[in-house]
Amino acid sequence: MSRYLGRREFLKHLLLWSAAGSALGLAGCGTGSGPEPSPAVRPSEAAVPSPTPETEAGPAPLAPATPAGTAPYPDVAVARGPGASPAELTRRAIAALGGIERFVKPGHDVIVKPNICNAYHGPEYASTTNPEVVATIVSLCLAAGARRVRVMDYPFGGTPQAAYEKSGIASAVAAAGGQMEVMNRMKYRATPIPAGRRIKEWQVYGDILDADVVINVPIAKDHSSARLTLGMKNLMGVVENRTGFHARGLHQCIADLNTLVRPQLTVVDAVRILVDNGPTGGNLDDVRQTDTVIASTDVVAADAYAATLFGLQGRDIGYIRLGAEMGLGRLDLDALKIEEITVEA
Amino acid sequence: MHTLRRLRPWVQLVALLLFLALLVGTGRPGWPTKWIFFADPLAGLAHTLASRHIVTGLLIGSLIALLVAVVGGRIWCGWLCPLGTALDWMPARRSKRHEPDPLPGLRSFKYTLLILILAAALLGNLTLLVLDPLTIAYRTAAVAVWPPLNALISASETLLYRLPLLAGLIDAFEAALRGPSLPPEQPRYGAILAVALLFVAILALNAWRARFWCRYLCPLGGLLGLVSKLAWLRRTVSERCIECGQCARACPTGTIDPDRHFASDPAECIMCLECVPACRQRGQLFVGHLRPAAWQAYDPSRRQLIAAAALAVVGVGLSRADPALRNTPTRLIRPPGADQSDFMARCIRCGLCLKACPTSGLQPGQGQVPWAGLWTPVLVPRLGHCDYSCNACGQVCPVGAIPPLPLEEKRRRVIGHAYIDRSRCIPWVDNRTCLVCEEMCPLPQKAIFLEDVVVEDYDGTRVEVRRPYVVHDLCIGCGICENRCPLNGEAAIRVYAPTELGAVG
Repeated sequence: MSRYLGRREFLKHLLLWSAAGSALGLAGCGTGSGPEPSPAVRPSEAAVPSPTPETEAGPAPLAPATPAGTAPYPDVAVARGPGASPAELTRRAIAALGGIERFVKPGHDVIVKPNICNAYHGPEYASTTNPEVVATIVSLCLAAGARRVRVMDYPFGGTPQAAYEKSGIASAVAAAGGQMEVMNRMKYRATPIPAGRRIKEWQVYGDILDADVVINVPIAKDHSSARLTLGMKNLMGVVENRTGFHARGLHQCIADLNTLVRPQLTVVDAVRILVDNGPTGGNLDDVRQTDTVIASTDVVAADAYAATLFGLQGRDIGYIRLGAEMGLGRLDLDALKIEEITVEA
Repeated sequence: MHTLRRLRPWVQLVALLLFLALLVGTGRPGWPTKWIFFADPLAGLAHTLASRHIVTGLLIGSLIALLVAVVGGRIWCGWLCPLGTALDWMPARRSKRHEPDPLPGLRSFKYTLLILILAAALLGNLTLLVLDPLTIAYRTAAVAVWPPLNALISASETLLYRLPLLAGLIDAFEAALRGPSLPPEQPRYGAILAVALLFVAILALNAWRARFWCRYLCPLGGLLGLVSKLAWLRRTVSERCIECGQCARACPTGTIDPDRHFASDPAECIMCLECVPACRQRGQLFVGHLRPAAWQAYDPSRRQLIAAAALAVVGVGLSRADPALRNTPTRLIRPPGADQSDFMARCIRCGLCLKACPTSGLQPGQGQVPWAGLWTPVLVPRLGHCDYSCNACGQVCPVGAIPPLPLEEKRRRVIGHAYIDRSRCIPWVDNRTCLVCEEMCPLPQKAIFLEDVVVEDYDGTRVEVRRPYVVHDLCIGCGICENRCPLNGEAAIRVYAPTELGAVG
């Protein structure tokens, strides 16, 4: 008898092994010992199909992040104070929402996503998120018992390392005990976006989907194609092929992405805002010192409020309007509970 | 002598590792990668002749290298040269007996090449420095080895990343090396095949004769050889020699000549000491000499000098008649600060700037440049733009052909101007808004502006559209707009070389 497998035997073995493999795989799924569905992704919400795939009208299919009136906390917390420290503004805004402990539990793996769009200018040019705001959030998370706090973005100009350093965020985060992560090509994965109107699947950074808590920390600034870049737009930093967003209709793609990636907390840095020549900046004449930090669990509401700093309404910005329409949050500031806190310098 | 001989492979290994470390670290602050070329007296001499500029480091390094040759012959070739080391590691033809040169006079070809390079340099041309062994070694490693290696690493990572056990390791590997050591983006060079082919040809010739390149072709070997005629330390045959011929068989350069009683020429000897253990009689000595070594039949003659110089004149003449010098290629964008008028007379074709460029937009020119500028750096924005936060190319250039501009100054240097192709640009042809170029423009007040227009679409509907246009007086030509234009293939906004008048009206 030959020691090689005959064709028939080979097929038999193949069948047996694959059967065994599938059985094991199924058993693994059935035990329910797998990881909890990530809070950053809400499949129950995301699974609701959109009735209006192309038009911008239609009923809201998704529930708001926090239904109005159910929480003892304000929908939006705004800390403001001329000359106040960015750290204090950040702490007070988050405290008004119930403190970081409302979101971060001991042992949590946290990702903080600032806007570090390029390596061109320091923080005084307001093209990257204020390092003190980012570092304060990192400290709060660690104090709340977070196992690990990582900070990351994917800059479009210059290397990530250079951008992290130039923005001042690298040193501030290191001092606060957080880790800067250079976003790694391997960690992107094709992820279905069932609630997306324009895009149904995209390459998204896996760790953002897997983290226990994601905190979105945009800087409020001018942006040519998006008009303003705020919280919803800031999440474009976690996908591959951003040019594809532009080609498919930027605003709808941003709204679609926001149905998948739903940070527990959005903190808009408006300590300094860039009012023209964004998103790159580089001219101090375009920078306004507004000494404001806006915090909310509702990214649409946070963005709608931040838009007012530029003399705009939420509905003037395509992705904010679409976000509200798709039920990602609310932009009618009059109907929202907004707590404004004045912070002394 | 035996100990020294055994030491040589280790010295070669250390020198090669040092070379590779400097190569990988090119562009890192404080890494003296340019020192590699300070140790190249051929580049030093040719650059000085062609540019009429003195570069202190290059001068000192070249003098040291020549001094070493005056003391100990072609130690450089046998102990340090990375190309020579690669050739020593390649299989070479080994014969039972001494073999004559494959073609008579071949041994003097390296001198022809040397004279050609120096005579052309005197006329302001450095084209043939592409054949300097150090530029070959560096360029090949940077352009033809490093990018495929990175692609291979990336592919293996993608494959192995599926194994949960390895994923963490790969993450750690990437976090530690991506950026500072491994390239942030996959580099792609248009000249990769030609660059690789030259190197492979040099390796392949080893199969014909050991160190074929070093014996017959290397112009730096020729220069060091001429100086080594004066070498104080050199091999001498003593009266104890029994003419057994073992040394001639062991010699990788074939300079030990049975017809001359197994004497060797210090201009050809690379001081590898392989002949030492071959001799059982102690019939050869390495001792000090003060008189220059004898001139050999293959050494440069006056006739050869005149012929090579004439050839240089003809070659340089031909290069000056290149129509590309009158009708400058419109896409010939040089690194920031490089002086277009004499760049080709200053660039030593070493390739440091190519490796330092984080976007790999700097390419070894081939086609985009006048032919005499083969493999000089040219920016190809579609492959990689000139990053607004980077001034690495000027910092690494060993000869200042690309000046070491401070970042603030580099940001103001005009290297070209962007032009919008209105027959391709989305807002112009499809009446759809696309502002990627404007968004990407890194200038504090942007060089791309937007015009809001209402146009009639094909079906009569009125469409509001924002159309980009470039203000050429503001544009520096960094090319990020061209790089990021979302069209396939050729971009709808492209950077063209600046002209005398600035922007073309």
